[in-house]
Amino acid sequence: MTDDTDSSNSVVIERSFDAPIGLIWKMWTDPEHFKAWYGPEGAAIPVADFDMRVGGRRFVGMEMTTPNGLMRMWFTGEHLVITEPERLVYTESLSDENGNVQSPSSMGMPEGHPTTTEVRVALEQTNAHTRMVLRHAGIPAGSPGEMGWNMAFDKLATYVKSQQP
Amino acid sequence: MTVAIDDERLSATFAALASSTRRAILARLAEGAATVNELAEPFDMTLPAISKHIKVLERAGLIRRGHRAQFRPCAIEASRLREVSTWAEQYRSIWESRFDQMDSYLAQIQAPAGREGKP
Repeated sequence: MTDDTDSSNSVVIERSFDAPIGLIWKMWTDPEHFKAWYGPEGAAIPVADFDMRVGGRRFVGMEMTTPNGLMRMWFTGEHLVITEPERLVYTESLSDENGNVQSPSSMGMPEGHPTTTEVRVALEQTNAHTRMVLRHAGIPAGSPGEMGWNMAFDKLATYVKSQQP
Repeated sequence: MTVAIDDERLSATFAALASSTRRAILARLAEGAATVNELAEPFDMTLPAISKHIKVLERAGLIRRGHRAQFRPCAIEASRLREVSTWAEQYRSIWESRFDQMDSYLAQIQAPAGREGKP
């Protein structure tokens, strides 16, 4: 079960927003809204493709200017739970520009960073506000979730190769 | 804003950690302080090359160096390393900063439209 409370493997953040729940839901699911806030400061989100179905893909491109020039990062994932407007769960992995999953260490991330992480968003309307609980957790290496994920990408990699001349 | 400063510091720390040589140096220092010569021993590298790595770690606040002029032993800076010790904590400041941006974006799009007609 991924619901363990190993704090070293997850981060939980609670926030309240001065907006109706439907709008906060759109912040996460409508690419135009998502692009407006998702980039960490100094980053832009030129690409956000969401297939809003369970099992549907997500693909996000991030661009930031660093002292070493323009840096691009790509993230891919899968929607696991879509219960509008209360609950959204998706996985996320670093990828290349074609959506092939990359290992975090090959991208310069410190060791211990899980290849696939899971983002859970829970929303609740309270009067004019919306309370949001975000949980971002690592999927332990070798868990069924990760295996399924890797298999899916192996298939994708094979497919991409077969499409090239 | 403090979140932005933290992000910058995290970036410097990540850049410093993105080298297997520097991570190996940190691993060695986790066992105790050491001089540059001692740190250089296991590596097939020149002293200046090792010194360069040490400077990067020092600038990122991951290690500190003693003031004894000749040896200047290096020691690990535990507090800095703890901040980035888990990937999850690394993400906390990123998410907080994103949600600050969501907040201001929400304020912007929910503001009453049409400011041109001042009352």
